Amino acid sequence: MSAAVRAWVKSPTGPMTTHFWGPVANWGFVGAALMDMNKPRDMISPKMTGVMCVYSILFMRFSWMVQPRNYLLFACHASNETAQIYQLGRWAGLTKE
Amino acid sequence: MLPSVVPQIRAKVMEWGIIKNNPKFAALVDSPAGPFTIHFWAPTFKWCITIANIADLARPVENVSTPQQIAVTATGVIWSRYSFVITPVNYTLFSVNVFMAGSGFAQLSRKFMAANETPKAEAEVKVVNPN
Repeated sequence: MSAAVRAWVKSPTGPMTTHFWGPVANWGFVGAALMDMNKPRDMISPKMTGVMCVYSILFMRFSWMVQPRNYLLFACHASNETAQIYQLGRWAGLTKE
Repeated sequence: MLPSVVPQIRAKVMEWGIIKNNPKFAALVDSPAGPFTIHFWAPTFKWCITIANIADLARPVENVSTPQQIAVTATGVIWSRYSFVITPVNYTLFSVNVFMAGSGFAQLSRKFMAANETPKAEAEVKVVNPN
């Protein structure tokens, strides 16, 4: 197992490269969205949430097409997209609250 | 998988006179990080977030979230470097992240200066209002 770990550590998108830490920084958005999941509906900003929805779709495509292909970034934006769409649904009254 | 709208648009646009007659402009428009690719539109859209953050410089300092602005600044700095190590090199992504880091840093400076001023302001209020 440690051979696999060592291989990952030295890989071109591994933790010694910016290709890893860039997406790690972007997980902050996801964390913030998850913490906001229970905040009151009237505190949700439809403008910012809508912007985040479009932003994450664009970057899901970007992370797929960029060289090297960045699965961590893809996962980050897929999660953010889910969270933001959920928030938008809450704001629009589509959830049971 | 997806209907190939963009290649069709690209074929039409590359036939335009203004592009056919200016090979340098044509090279710019057709570049690997140019407007026919996601490498252009994703960072361009990110400008919306940066502009929103710059607009937030006018909001009262108490409403500024320090953890969020630390995240914004760190993101901006890391991604400025990232945009040079990917293929294709992405100057749009670089510029938007430089501004993101700048706006985050500006917000943190506002917070820092407000935190330093508060004890003095409170003392002044106490002197003016002895009751």
